[in-house]
Amino acid sequence: MSTDTTLGSDQLALSAASWSDHPNRFELPPELSDPAPGMPALAVRFRSRQARAEAFFAASRNPEQGLPVAHNAKAFAFIGSLLSTRRALLTAVIAFNVLAATAGLIVPRMLGDLVDEVAAGNTPLAAVDAIILGVAGVVVVQALLTFAARRASAVFGYDLLAAAREAIVRTVLRLPLGRIESASSGDLLTRITSDVSKMSESVRWAFPQLVMSVVVTALTIVAMVLNSWFLALPLVVSITVLVLVTRVYLRRAMPGYITESGTYSQINSTMTETVEGARTVEALGLHGRRIQIGEDDIAVSNQAERYTMTLRNLLFIFLDASYQLPLVAVVVLGTWGYANDWVTIGQITAAAIYVQQLVEPLDRMIQVADRLQIGLAATTRLLGIAEVPQDRVPGAARPVDEHLVGSELRFAYREGRDVLHGIDLDLAPGERLAVVGPSGSGKSTLGRLLAGINGPRTGTVRVGEVELMTLPLDVLRTEVALVTQEHHVFVGTVRDNIVLARDHQLSPEQGDAAVLDALRAVDALDWVQKLPNGLDTMLGHGRTQLTPAQAQQVALARLVVADPHTLVLDEATSLIDPRTARHLEGSMAALLEGRTVIAIAHRLHTAHDADRIAVVIDGRIVELGSHAELLEQGGEYARLWHTWRS
Amino acid sequence: MHDFPPRIDAYTRAETARPDTRSPARFLLWTLRVQWDVLAALSIAGLAWFLPSALSPYLLGRTIDAGILVGDWAATAWWASLLAAVILVGAASGIVMHTYAVRGWLIALYGTQKLVTRKSVQLGHVLNRRLPTGEVLSISSSDSDIFGATFEVVARALGAFGAFLLVGGLMLSTSGPLGLVVLLVAPLMVAAAVPVLRPLNRAQTAERTQNGELTSMAADIVAGLRILRGIGGELTFGDNYAVQSQKVRRLGVTAGTWQAVVDTLSVLLSGLLLVVLVWLGSHEMMAGRLTLGQLISFVGYAIFMVWPLQTMFEVAQKWVRGLVSARKTIALLNAELPWTEGDLPFPARPRLRDEKSGLVVEPGEFLVVVSADPDESAALADRLGRYLPTAGGAPTDEPDEDELKGRAARQARAEKERRRAEIARRDAETAGTAWGVSADGLDYEHYRMDSLRERVLVSDAGSQLFAGTFQQAVDPLGVHTREQAERALRTAAAEDVFDGLPQGWASRVDEKGRGLSGGQRQRVVLARALLADPEVLVLVEPTSAVDAHTEEAIAERLAGHRRGRTTVVMTGSPLLVHQADRVAFVAQGRQLATGTHAYLVRNHPGYRSVINRGMEDDDEH
Repeated sequence: MSTDTTLGSDQLALSAASWSDHPNRFELPPELSDPAPGMPALAVRFRSRQARAEAFFAASRNPEQGLPVAHNAKAFAFIGSLLSTRRALLTAVIAFNVLAATAGLIVPRMLGDLVDEVAAGNTPLAAVDAIILGVAGVVVVQALLTFAARRASAVFGYDLLAAAREAIVRTVLRLPLGRIESASSGDLLTRITSDVSKMSESVRWAFPQLVMSVVVTALTIVAMVLNSWFLALPLVVSITVLVLVTRVYLRRAMPGYITESGTYSQINSTMTETVEGARTVEALGLHGRRIQIGEDDIAVSNQAERYTMTLRNLLFIFLDASYQLPLVAVVVLGTWGYANDWVTIGQITAAAIYVQQLVEPLDRMIQVADRLQIGLAATTRLLGIAEVPQDRVPGAARPVDEHLVGSELRFAYREGRDVLHGIDLDLAPGERLAVVGPSGSGKSTLGRLLAGINGPRTGTVRVGEVELMTLPLDVLRTEVALVTQEHHVFVGTVRDNIVLARDHQLSPEQGDAAVLDALRAVDALDWVQKLPNGLDTMLGHGRTQLTPAQAQQVALARLVVADPHTLVLDEATSLIDPRTARHLEGSMAALLEGRTVIAIAHRLHTAHDADRIAVVIDGRIVELGSHAELLEQGGEYARLWHTWRS
Repeated sequence: MHDFPPRIDAYTRAETARPDTRSPARFLLWTLRVQWDVLAALSIAGLAWFLPSALSPYLLGRTIDAGILVGDWAATAWWASLLAAVILVGAASGIVMHTYAVRGWLIALYGTQKLVTRKSVQLGHVLNRRLPTGEVLSISSSDSDIFGATFEVVARALGAFGAFLLVGGLMLSTSGPLGLVVLLVAPLMVAAAVPVLRPLNRAQTAERTQNGELTSMAADIVAGLRILRGIGGELTFGDNYAVQSQKVRRLGVTAGTWQAVVDTLSVLLSGLLLVVLVWLGSHEMMAGRLTLGQLISFVGYAIFMVWPLQTMFEVAQKWVRGLVSARKTIALLNAELPWTEGDLPFPARPRLRDEKSGLVVEPGEFLVVVSADPDESAALADRLGRYLPTAGGAPTDEPDEDELKGRAARQARAEKERRRAEIARRDAETAGTAWGVSADGLDYEHYRMDSLRERVLVSDAGSQLFAGTFQQAVDPLGVHTREQAERALRTAAAEDVFDGLPQGWASRVDEKGRGLSGGQRQRVVLARALLADPEVLVLVEPTSAVDAHTEEAIAERLAGHRRGRTTVVMTGSPLLVHQADRVAFVAQGRQLATGTHAYLVRNHPGYRSVINRGMEDDDEH
């Protein structure tokens, strides 16, 4: 036993090397923590913030652990495939936008003509009124077309979004079993909540806006050229400036905004810990420390905000100038042209209106480009989920009986560090085996191999002569199941929560019958029947809440429906409070009845009740036999048992 | 001038200023008042920024009348350079305005977050009895942003109001009838959108609510993914998600349609205003009362006036939202600690006595309390540590009253506030009188809270790990030596946790210790409590999630580690009772017997059955 060992020598070395004498020191680079006044210092700070943003962004794109991130090309292909099935809708969106924009452009042109008529001074009032009536008509048409364009965009955007998120959730539901068990759910959760919402924002809002602004901008430029190519010349300069500036801005903006939102996630997660752990904060006197961590988070966020603020300021200098200065140029060119009879006063008026009309769509295009970039980044993270390789190749062979045998099992989480060193285990159908041993000895890993969650590095686990890893999941589930202390209740009906293993295999009536049988078996039929809508009662967060014992019964009923002949119980009851556990004993017994059971036990009374006990130490089975046999042997188990019982 | 992040010292020992929390409106005004200088600067910059748009129609008109039409190059040059100058002033003030807008927004946002942190740590465990976690977090993450938005829109509206007056004056001085038309019709145009905004808002709210539902379904799938892939049900839950997703799609299309109506109205109304103006203008022109340049100016004014008016409507909307956020925020900030503090320092080696159970804790002893009922042990630990009872009284997350309307919403809110006030009142009653536990013969109420917390540490199942390095997880205050930390780690039998970390003490621990198994987390929490080395350490079920081998190791090391200091362990573990100086057996809230484990086993059948967990007595082999 490891009772008398202290940290090993290599552990001690690591401990000495990794211990910090100032663990809570927080430092920003000197130029940021103590800002000097003046423009040169501002430039230094800007570069320093930029470096921080780029570094954060690079790290977020290449996570050290967690799920992969797909390439941009994949995201474009994904969007392309969604678009290609919606050609008609897409065409409608573009067509209505073009028509609405065109109508909007005719109005200034007509007003320009009108001004020319009036300026000529010899037009009858009735003719002027007729033109104005015509303008009013065009305005009404423009309004109707605007409605059609906006509505088509909404229908299209929401349809695209729904298809995209449903596809992604189905991908998540196909993730390989071994990968889910090992990865923490945090990364996946962030992706499916915050990345999906970023993607929605860009699909739902930015995409239609982009279509609209591009159409309006392009047509306005065309209209300006048609009105007078001479007066359209100022646009060449301002659009060139805009394109150049925006390109530089966008390249910098993405890391800037990703970093910024990263700092807010950090603030939120610190806050969550402080609020949820308020009692621990009070108990350990961490008041000042939690405030300081909050301050540090804000100091980091402050730098990220200042970076994007400067970026935007730099952009705005050019934007405001490029939007408005063409107006001055139109006036100057107009004077020249009018003096030489190249342009009429009406053309000048129309050009002035066009120039001002360009401001909004251009501005929107730049805003939209920001969001689209963020949406693209989110999409690549979402599609990354699909890049996790499958961990098993289903074969055609099916088990001939219920005999589970593991032989020569070795397994490593990290290259070169086996946690199991050649374990052999032969389970008689119907037998109860308890696995005991110190933490870190490989008990849980052994359980996962026997349940077919992970494949062994070498050796095989076979059931009825067939290797577990070659069984398709829906077959594996009816052979072996791993039961952990997790008792998640899904948002859904009682039926949905229990029928799991046989969903879409049974007709609704058969399903109901199976669920009711399972509930009866685990002693839960009574309270389920008392629920307002019986099997149709909605459970889960924010609906009917179950007690821990009821939740556990639901979890057990799921297994009764799945009906595997072998169960691997991993600390199945250790986190339930003892009273609940006592209450569940009957339900548990009903589930275990007639099945082969491998119980990874914390408590020695579980071991005492088993047919055989395997003592696992350092990845090897050191003792194997019945309770009585092991006591006879007088080994590790016997020693522990006596200490426990004396 | 104020800058972000703001300094906030409210609710700490160094407090110099507190927010005004007497009413939501006062709080909202307070968020503006604390940075009045930024507000003033932003309003002025906002006005300057409006100038080009406001003045360029006028300057354009002048250029046409005085320059282009008469071919006067000098006049064109003069008016055109004025136009250019105004545009450049506008661009420059755009930068200034943006800078101040960000500054004021972030002062409000970071300031609110700092207030929430300070109030939360001030309240400690009382916090979770006053407000549900979700509500506190939403103040920090979303209401803080709304205060920023309120600040920004108020300042912008002040600037817009200035621009409105300026342009109004310009118009009236140019042409009375046309000026009046614009001044009357422009507000009508903005107001015309109001009736449509209501259904739009409702449709958007419905979509947001159902979309939130959709997000939590996705989160639910991820949380239960292990089960869905392990046992099955992918099809059912994939389909459920798709059904909800389609529901959100339909609601989204409805909201999008209303948005289309709003956009259409704005196109229609501004287009028609243009037509009316041009019609009136050309008649005025033909009658010789208006020049061509002036008509062109008016078209520009009409387009411009929609802007400041929209801004002022926006203020009204955002102020209402700001009040809702302010109400939530002051509900947190007005929560008070229920304690009446004593003024004595807590004794260094106290003898503790719990009146309710009759349990006595002698200084320096290793006492194990065995109870038939785990809730009872937890309640006893709470009393010894002076914590309000864990069970009962925690408010729960409730459906947002935003979904209810009018009276129903007010009633629901009043009911919620009444229930919460009731909990606060009961807490004050419990905490304001004699506590029922004495140290050296004097009730806890006579001692200073901070001194008591320093001397008595309760570590229970609810103890939480915080994100940071592994070193920070074990030694959050950073005041211990490596040797002390290694010793604590060893006593807690957590060497294998250390072994599993790639970078030793410098390894990252995720939020709440996620990524460690239940048993590992429990041992790190134990190591942290041991390293804190309090005079009195109360441990509740410290080994419930570890296996028998590890439990044995902990049991053997614990007493030695704590030698000379007082340790109380609430447990039913036979391995731990063996190491106790003394065991107290508690049932139905009373101490029934006390003595060594061997003595109790011999003399108390009740104790024997609890410690053997229902296994028959004669079952020695």
